[in-house]
Amino acid sequence: MKDTVLQIENLTMQFGGVVAVDNFSMEINKGEIVALIGPNGAGKTTAFNAVTGVYQPTAGRITLLDENITGLRPDEVTLRGIARTFQNIRLFSSMTVFENVLTAHHLRRTAGLFSATFRLNKAEEKRMREDTDALLKKVDLYDLRDEMAVSLPYGKQRLLEIVRALATRPKLLLLDEPAAGMNPQETDELGEFIRRIRSEFDLTVFIIEHHMNLVMKISDRIYVIEFGKQIAEGTPEEIQNNQAVIDAYLGGGDEL
Amino acid sequence: MKKKLDLPHLITVLIIIAVYAGVFVMEQTMAPTSMIFTVLKKGATYALVAVSMNLLNGFTGIFSLGQAGFMLIGAYVFSIFTIPVDQRPIVYQYYNGGLIQFTMPFFLAMILGGLVAALFAFLIGLPVLRLKSDYLAIATLGFAEIIRTFFQWDKLGPITNGSNMLRLFPTFNDFNIRNANGEVVVYLSTLVPMIISGICIAIILLLINSTYGRAMRAIKDDEIAAEAMGIHLASHKQMAFCVSSFFAGVGGAMLAMYQTTVQAKSFTTAMTYEILLIVVIGGLGSVTGSVLASFLFVAASEWWLRFLDQKQYIGGHELPLMRNGFRLVVFSFIIMIVVLFFRQGIMGTKELPDLFRRKKTTEGGSAK
Repeated sequence: MKDTVLQIENLTMQFGGVVAVDNFSMEINKGEIVALIGPNGAGKTTAFNAVTGVYQPTAGRITLLDENITGLRPDEVTLRGIARTFQNIRLFSSMTVFENVLTAHHLRRTAGLFSATFRLNKAEEKRMREDTDALLKKVDLYDLRDEMAVSLPYGKQRLLEIVRALATRPKLLLLDEPAAGMNPQETDELGEFIRRIRSEFDLTVFIIEHHMNLVMKISDRIYVIEFGKQIAEGTPEEIQNNQAVIDAYLGGGDEL
Repeated sequence: MKKKLDLPHLITVLIIIAVYAGVFVMEQTMAPTSMIFTVLKKGATYALVAVSMNLLNGFTGIFSLGQAGFMLIGAYVFSIFTIPVDQRPIVYQYYNGGLIQFTMPFFLAMILGGLVAALFAFLIGLPVLRLKSDYLAIATLGFAEIIRTFFQWDKLGPITNGSNMLRLFPTFNDFNIRNANGEVVVYLSTLVPMIISGICIAIILLLINSTYGRAMRAIKDDEIAAEAMGIHLASHKQMAFCVSSFFAGVGGAMLAMYQTTVQAKSFTTAMTYEILLIVVIGGLGSVTGSVLASFLFVAASEWWLRFLDQKQYIGGHELPLMRNGFRLVVFSFIIMIVVLFFRQGIMGTKELPDLFRRKKTTEGGSAK
């Protein structure tokens, strides 16, 4: 069980004079839940965006299951098996819960524009709809199927965003602060949910999170970055007792 | 896409059938010069162009202002290929009868007009669709202006007749069925354009409700999220742009048939704005709204407000303000009120079947 799903080698992201991510390397093995933590502005989301193709890396190499995906477009990255959620929820606001998840099936279409318009792809369309309903039932969102996505309570919206990402059938799921704005109970449920989908959907999970309780509870390994550089890596216990991490979170070690 | 029609859709289908049947009966019984037929013909034409613009602006979120340009291409291609060969010396009198010496059936020429418009859209789309919002609007607007000038270019005269009028091609009146003496037996000059327009709009609706239509709506809602769901932005925008332009081209051909003459200088930016206005009044993201607004818009500008342009008397006193051009003042005023107080348009994002559904309490319309 030591197959590497995602490998980041010497990733550097530079915006003008600012180095947001500096020579950062990491790897995630199949079935792991790996967290990336660090103070605000440490470069966590930038690293995510480089992996998912939103940004072109200044330097470095990103490999998904032995395939080089450095510099691919976001839709190409998704097609190869990385799905993500966003720090600020980005659901399709004109669509229902059902349509949001259904839209995520579009990437596996085989029908062209013409045959889709003239309904020559009935079987495929039917399968997409059935898969969507099956997925919604599996994650207990079926009751909300026909609600507008943006009218859901906040916690459900976060959940729906994860489900929508699952509908692209990813091998690796990237969650960008999924617990942001959630109360402790919702956060607990989210932790359970992430563990559940990992086993049910045979996933590998890469998560950015600020809720330390959640991170410590669900992560197999944790990477810590500060100012774009890795300062620690290890199991939750190791990280909790790591002096560099404590310094980063409590403020500069020099003054101690 | 259930096999069985649910009640709201059934009512919608019945309404549409009733409208077509009503138009057919009216055409046989009323004087063909009645203003209502003018409104229906031009309204059907504008409805198609408005829906095609809505596909871009309302459903895909691409703010394009090139519609008049694509209509021009459709109108020109249609008329160039349908003028009867024996009439060409008259039409192309300054260009020795023109270069093209064959004609096509009107139906094929109409589709060709759409295809040429779509081809132009494809080529323009390659650079232009990389731009966002305002920049894209300016670029497409510029394109429409260039096309307008280009088609009037003297060197293209043997094909486009330069800045002269194209005429003597088939018009809506040719849809009427005549007997051997040339008397009209069955009037179809309003029904056929409405059917052509209806079929085209139905195709656009099918597209909107297909998996590609959902992808386009996703792009409108959130480009970043759409891309993260594996939707290739450039190719889907290009599809929407080409399909929209195809139907704008067909609409242009219909406009040519309605007007009976075509001249490049009449496809102005103002025409695009008229269409945009119809789309906004009807509701960005509602096909039903675009159709309703087209007929209302045409009826108001061509018919209901006409009396404002004439001198009116009440008890021998001439009313002030009523003179040529006052109609447009009132018209602009109405539009300002609509835009200020009814931002969602007539329909918002609702379609006709939605009106027959029981209101859901949980639905919260977004106030964008």
